Formats: sequence, C-alpha cells, structure tokens
Amino acid sequence: MKKLIIVLIAFVLGSNINAQNNDFEFSKTQFMIRGYGHTGFNSMSSGDEKESSYVGSAFAPIFLFKHSDRLMFEAELEFGLENNELEIGLEYADVMYVLNKYMTVRAGKFLLPFGTFMERLHPSWINRFSTRPLGFGHDGIAPASGIGVELRGAFDLGGPKLNYAVYSTNGPRLKDGSDEPEEAGMLLFKNFEDNNTSKAFGGRLGLLPFADSSMELGFSAYSTSGVGNQDSEYENVGAFLYALDFSFVKQIAPLKGLIDIKAQYNNSNVDTATFIETHEDGDVEEYSFDNKSNSFYTQLSYRPIMADSDFLKKLEFVGRYSNFNAPEGAEWEEQSTQLALGINYWMSWRSVIKMSYQTTDKEGGHGNVGITKIDGFYLHWAIGF
Amino acid sequence: MKTIYKILAGVLTILVIGLTIIACSSSKNVHVNATDDEFKIEKSGAQYWGETCNRCHLAPSPVDYNDTDWETISLHMRVRANLTDIEINKIKEFLKSAN
Repeated sequence: MKKLIIVLIAFVLGSNINAQNNDFEFSKTQFMIRGYGHTGFNSMSSGDEKESSYVGSAFAPIFLFKHSDRLMFEAELEFGLENNELEIGLEYADVMYVLNKYMTVRAGKFLLPFGTFMERLHPSWINRFSTRPLGFGHDGIAPASGIGVELRGAFDLGGPKLNYAVYSTNGPRLKDGSDEPEEAGMLLFKNFEDNNTSKAFGGRLGLLPFADSSMELGFSAYSTSGVGNQDSEYENVGAFLYALDFSFVKQIAPLKGLIDIKAQYNNSNVDTATFIETHEDGDVEEYSFDNKSNSFYTQLSYRPIMADSDFLKKLEFVGRYSNFNAPEGAEWEEQSTQLALGINYWMSWRSVIKMSYQTTDKEGGHGNVGITKIDGFYLHWAIGF
Repeated sequence: MKTIYKILAGVLTILVIGLTIIACSSSKNVHVNATDDEFKIEKSGAQYWGETCNRCHLAPSPVDYNDTDWETISLHMRVRANLTDIEINKIKEFLKSAN
C-alpha cells in the first residue's frame, strides 16, 4: 500500500511539474491601474473681486481586476485638493459579469447612465473644457452615480445599433433644510445607506441610427416614490427625472476635420413639500414651491485632422453653451447661463493642454439677490494613463 | 409622481424580461442563407476603432498597451461605453494585431 501511495504522489507531482514546464499559458487573471489626472491655473473675476490660483493636481486612479473573460471588478478613486485640504472620493466600485453577448450585469457603486456626460465624458482628459456644464457636479440636478444593481447591453440591428441600461439604486435623499436651510428641497444623490425603503429605478435607451455610428440619440429616466427620511413627513415625497442626450461625431472632408457635437437636457421634478424657514428675529415661516429644475448644455468642437500642418492637426477649437434653472420660490432659486470658448492642443491621444475663457450670468442661487457676472480663464493640462 | 413611478417600474420590468428572452433565445436552429452572407460587407476592426472610440475620446494608439492590457481595457470599455459584442471584439483584435 505504501509503495502504491508513493507511486501516486510521484505521479501527481511529476505531472504538475511537467504541466508547469510545457503548458505555460498567460494568466486570464489580470490587474491593471489606469486613470487620469490634471493640473492648471484658474483666474476668475466677479465685479471688483478677482482671484487667481494654480490649482493642485487632481489624480484619479482606476483599478481594473479582470478575473476572467467575463468577470471584472473596477474601481476609481479621486484625489483632489480643495479648500486647502486633500479630498478623497470613491467615484465607483463595482463588479461586472458578462452574461451573454447582449447582457452584462453590474453591482456596487457605478456611474449612472443618466444622459452621457457623467458616465462617459466627465474625465478631465475626455472633457474638452476644464469645467463642467451647468447642472452637473456640486449642487447639480443630474445624478452621477448610485449604489445598486444594473443590467446593460447593446444590439446590432444590422447597421443601426441600440444600447440599453436598466438599474435600481438606493436613490437620492431629500435635503429637508434641518442642516442647511438654504438648500431645503434639493436632492442629494450621495445616499450610501438608504434613508428609507423606497428604491430608485431608472434606465437609458440609446439609438445609433446610422451604420457609421456617427450619431447617438438617448433617453434616460430615473424615478423614486420616496426621497425623505423614513418615518418623516417627507418619506413619501417622490421624484422623477429625465434626460435627453445627443451626440454627433464625424469626419467631414470639405472641412478638413472632425466635428464633434454633444448636447444633454436634464429635467428634475420633485413632489411639492412644505419646508420651514427661520428668520433672523426667530420667527418661523412655512413655505413650499413647485420643485422643478432643468439644465441644458450643448458643445461643438472641431479638430482639423486633415490639415497639412502637423501643428494645426493637433489643435481643437471648442465652444459650449449651458444653462441651469432652479425652482422659483426655493432658497436656492437660480437662473444661470454660461458660455465657454476654448482652444485645446492634443500632445497625444490622451494628453491635452486646454485653454478656455468662460463667462457666466447667474441670477439668484443660495440666497443671492440680483445678477452676478463671473468671468474665468482656465489653463489646464490633463492626461489619461 | 406615484403613477409615473409605477409606470416606469413596470416598463423597466417588462424591458428586462423582454431583453432576457431575446438575449437568451438560441439561434442554433436558425437557417442561415449562405448567399446572403457572401455579399455582406463586414467592417474591419480598424473601422470600428475609428468610429467607436472617437465618439467619446480620441482613438487610442494600439502601441501604447500590450495584448494582455488590451484584453483588460476592452472588457472595461465594453461595459463603460455599452458597445456591441461585434464592435468590441473587432476593435480588440485590431488593437492586438497593430501594436
């Protein structure tokens, strides 16, 4: 029996060594760090107030762990310097599994397909400007990410293409004004632990009608039946948001270059609720307002990639218009319009120097009265890696 | 708002069920007309690379990553940009062949 065991062990070990020597294969398990970063100079003026500053580097590493040809974990961290402090954020961290050709499931914290800007276009080496359009980012109305589960995929319709995404997340929470009275009625999308039992449901449908995929039309919707804290008077305040997005990218020979047009319209509709305002003399007043907001942006860029000059080929001329309307009667009531013009120099496909001028007319916003005009000059260097 | 919420939840549920049925339906027994395929002009990976990547960012240079990296990046981009199976496989093969 002992001899038999020794022979079996020798056989197993021998076959393992043989396999290691002769059957070498690349591992399907791969780990990779990608990401992007940017740094630059900002100069802004508003009336008599002027400020300028070199802005610290922002660094956003993306961790990709490919477990197999179908399974992957991805995560992105964001390091930034704001208000003389280092701020760290978890942009997304999710696990994804390709079920079949047409379906992929994701779970965790993921970028929401609400329009295309936040999901696809916001990274600094992709965004043609150093700033985001109005309505996105801090105090914006478009949700950027959520924690939940998502199903997505795409179909080839024999020329045209259709892509879809449907998801359920914790949904937003309502700012009831108890912490920040001037923001009562706003939706806060950082809802890491759900404040109630209502989940948000949403999705996006994208259609690329032409065989060359030059144009994409998208419709997104996002809805929840409750955004307030559980057992509070706001528990059953619902919200419905939708977005329309458009993209057109095509090389046009007579213009000797590539045209890139992007646009997105966001609309937010939150059920009317009653909030409390405390005046300086201590008097308390109840108020409510029609809680509807919207924002829009459109951007046009042109790269003369067919020009004779190598220098011209690397240039990009870009313009963007955006506006934002917050509800009338809210403490954060605002009507803003913004125009931005810029010239970019592409050092490579993933490294760009961006120079832009931006002017914003802002009426209201967080208790401000009257129109504020803000002009800004931005010079940034962004790199993807 | 409750009505909109219910309608959206219902539409999404139907969409998920419908997509699951379509995506999981077998095509093994579908008769393929060979003559149709013969005259079908298929796009190359280079064409997909030029058309698809430029929709969001400048098309990447194939030489900047090795084959193993392109495998990982392709899976990431397939989901991030919601690309079709044909698009991503053709782009991946082109990038691996041209680096």
